Amino acid sequence: MRDYEPMTSVEFAERRRVGKYLLIIIFVLAILASLLFWKFVPNAPIDYVGITDHFKYGSIGAEPANGIPYWIWKVLPDMFPEKLPAPGKGYESFGLIQEPGRETPIGFSVRRVIVDRVGMNCALCHTGTVRDTPQSQPRIILGMPANKFDLQGYARFLYACALDDRFTVDNVLQAIQRRTHLNPLDRLIYREAIWRTREVLIEQARLLSFMDSRPDWGPGRVDTFNPYKALQFNFPMRLDHTIGTVDLPVIWNQRPREGLQLHWDGNNTSVVERNKSAALGAGVTPVTIDIARLKRIEDWLWDLPAPRYPYVINETLAAKGEAVYQKHCASCHAFGAALVGRVTPIDKIGTDRQRLDSYTYELLENQNTLYAGYPWRFSHFRKTDGYANMPLDGVWLRAPFLHNGSVPTLRDLLEPPDKRPKEFYRGYDVFDPIKLGFITDVSEENGHKFFKYDTTLLGNSNAGHVYGTSLSTEEKDALVEYMKKL
Amino acid sequence: MALDIIFEPLKFRNLTVKNRIFRSNISGRFDCYNGVGTQTRINWEEKFARGGVGAIISSHVPISVRGRILPNYAFIDDDDKIPFWRKLGEKVHEYDCKYIMQLSHGGRQRDVGGVENTFNKALSSTDTTDSFHGLLCQAMTRDEIKMVVQQFADAARRAREAGLDGVELHACNGYLINQFLSSAINNRKDEYGGSLENRTRFLLEIIKAVRATVGDDFHFQVKLSAVDHNNALAFWEKKGNTLEDSVQVSQWIEAAGVDALHVSYGSTFPHPWNPPGGFPLDHAARTYGGMIPSGVFAFRNFLLFRYRLLRPIFKFLWTRTQPDEIEGINADEAQEIKKHVKIPVLVTGGFQTASYIRKCISEGSCDGVTIARPLVANNDLVKIYAAGKDSPDKPCTYCNKCLVHAISDPLGCYELSRYDGDYDRMIKEIMTVFTPAY
Repeated sequence: MRDYEPMTSVEFAERRRVGKYLLIIIFVLAILASLLFWKFVPNAPIDYVGITDHFKYGSIGAEPANGIPYWIWKVLPDMFPEKLPAPGKGYESFGLIQEPGRETPIGFSVRRVIVDRVGMNCALCHTGTVRDTPQSQPRIILGMPANKFDLQGYARFLYACALDDRFTVDNVLQAIQRRTHLNPLDRLIYREAIWRTREVLIEQARLLSFMDSRPDWGPGRVDTFNPYKALQFNFPMRLDHTIGTVDLPVIWNQRPREGLQLHWDGNNTSVVERNKSAALGAGVTPVTIDIARLKRIEDWLWDLPAPRYPYVINETLAAKGEAVYQKHCASCHAFGAALVGRVTPIDKIGTDRQRLDSYTYELLENQNTLYAGYPWRFSHFRKTDGYANMPLDGVWLRAPFLHNGSVPTLRDLLEPPDKRPKEFYRGYDVFDPIKLGFITDVSEENGHKFFKYDTTLLGNSNAGHVYGTSLSTEEKDALVEYMKKL
Repeated sequence: MALDIIFEPLKFRNLTVKNRIFRSNISGRFDCYNGVGTQTRINWEEKFARGGVGAIISSHVPISVRGRILPNYAFIDDDDKIPFWRKLGEKVHEYDCKYIMQLSHGGRQRDVGGVENTFNKALSSTDTTDSFHGLLCQAMTRDEIKMVVQQFADAARRAREAGLDGVELHACNGYLINQFLSSAINNRKDEYGGSLENRTRFLLEIIKAVRATVGDDFHFQVKLSAVDHNNALAFWEKKGNTLEDSVQVSQWIEAAGVDALHVSYGSTFPHPWNPPGGFPLDHAARTYGGMIPSGVFAFRNFLLFRYRLLRPIFKFLWTRTQPDEIEGINADEAQEIKKHVKIPVLVTGGFQTASYIRKCISEGSCDGVTIARPLVANNDLVKIYAAGKDSPDKPCTYCNKCLVHAISDPLGCYELSRYDGDYDRMIKEIMTVFTPAY
């Protein structure tokens, strides 16, 4: 139908003007939305070009669900110094490694999820230090167990802060303001974030309160699956009395490990599944896990060689030791051997069975539901009846030994259980090249007290694995000398 | 006792007015939509004639429908309007009051164009939209200029044929002729733009045409803005013509054969200086809505008037350049113009006090004053003066409520305080315009 109603000049001008204003408004809104998106929504971690920096500080996706807002995390040691093992030394007093010029110690990543949040990554538990002497600068070694880091102490510190009456919105904000200036919008967000953080930490403390009825982990150890039961599946831990505390493992050279029985009890044969399970322990969730960034680490670890032994080796003695190794050890511990990466039944290996028992069928069933809906849904977890025979690449960095870290040095492991040290200190990183391990008779250094490991406590037994204990002293020394080369 | 100068007759070349008080140009939307006058307008003018003014200068009388400012104002666009104006003139003359018709073309300042103009733009000297309401316009071609000049001349002829006492060209306050005169508005590149002489060409052509039509023996005056002050409200605009420019224009007008000058102020209407006083935003919010379709800034203005939060913006713009005094606001400018011409000079601008009017006339600021709002408030102001009073008991407050109501309501004084807060009494008084004073 013909339009008999033309527009008036004013209507025409206004239509053009409205169109122009609409464009301007859309443009301004788009810029505003971009700014807000850029500031709050991007879920953007700090990325690193170098793979080693990515491993040490890159994100694997722990921050969105379990990250602590950066400034809250930053000021807790300021607010509650008395709760630190060494007041005034911040998070380093938990054995964390702080590199100069870095915002966080190794093992912590930062990701913007509305505000910057701090999360944990692989390097937290898999980066350690070695010193030649007490006066030496520590060598930072990526992929080795975090031999100084007291994960349980760190968690308990956070929980103690949250439970403290002084953890209030105003107090935390004041502490933050002493370190930085928050703009009004960030202040508003932080007001909300502070009490929410406190609530989450208090809830975590409640869920993990079962830890208080078990022996302390001490540095370089973690109860792998019991916190998992509580945090992932809300298991009633009052009914569970197992102790699953184990040494943190090395994570280099993963390619030859694929298909071996992984974890101390060999409950999984898939490296990537084991990795995703470990990532859950670091704080990711099936939804927040950053697959791409985790894969970048996995790809690097796939062929990362074990660090070479940096000290002098008596090659003559080592040559003798190689023969001993091939005869007594290789069948279970050398890559390619028939039994490497296979489980030795508990009755045969005879080591502490607490860790084996802590991994239950109930947990297994629940674990295999994790990542449901994703191609990487768990399917490899199995219950075993013993402990797996570990490949020993880079064994010089893996002390203390046995799954629970109950034997301080390799040389001690070659002694019968009743001759092995009953007590020793963990957390000291000065190397002992004679016995192959870390010096374990130092209880304190510069005010930092080390953790006394008591083998008589439940889960801490140093019994079992009597292989090689009947060798002669010369054979044992030769074997240790050779194993430095692994 | 010496004769009161207010009541001394004012002798123009072709007209003598019994006193020095003129009713200035003001009225409401009293007539038929098609420009035919009604009894209401006669009633309106009779109020002032009866009140004693020496002469009434009509409100704007469109010379063509395209040049209208608001609907419902009687036109002088055709001979068929002559009988109405004759009747009106006869009524006013009953009171020995003279009647001067203001010939008007709104140009771009066409507040409500009406249905006849829905699909055309207003004629102007420029294509540029006005900065207050955003009224759209188009620059007149030479043919259109010729046509409008002739319309003015024809209108003047009709006024004379209607027996009226004179005509006034509305060449101020931002209407068409002012749009040509003002250096802030006229951006033409032809012989009608640029220099002051060029900008005055349109006005002089109209004067010449009118004179040629009505003869030399008919009273003919021009209402002129002494100063444009085009940026008084919209500070981003150009200033426009100065007093010096207007003095020069006045001299050219005088030389062209005009009998008197009527001095006003400003190149827009309303203008913070004309009519001087307040701007009642709450009242404007009720009446301005009808203007929204007229201009591209009108909705913006409506929002500025409607919402209290926004009102300070307009209030600031309205008051930022206003002087403290209102009464006689243009007296100094009129005096300057009067110094440079020989023809009588009338001036408008808040006059309400007899002694002040006497002072202005005696000191040579002007020969007579024209009054609008104070006469709307007190139709019998002249009689009040005659009775020896210096000012009325309930004077005009210069609130400008009458101004903002003029867009859509019957014109009258809407200042409730003058009616002791009695709204019904106020409305009753306003409505008297619809009732002939038998």
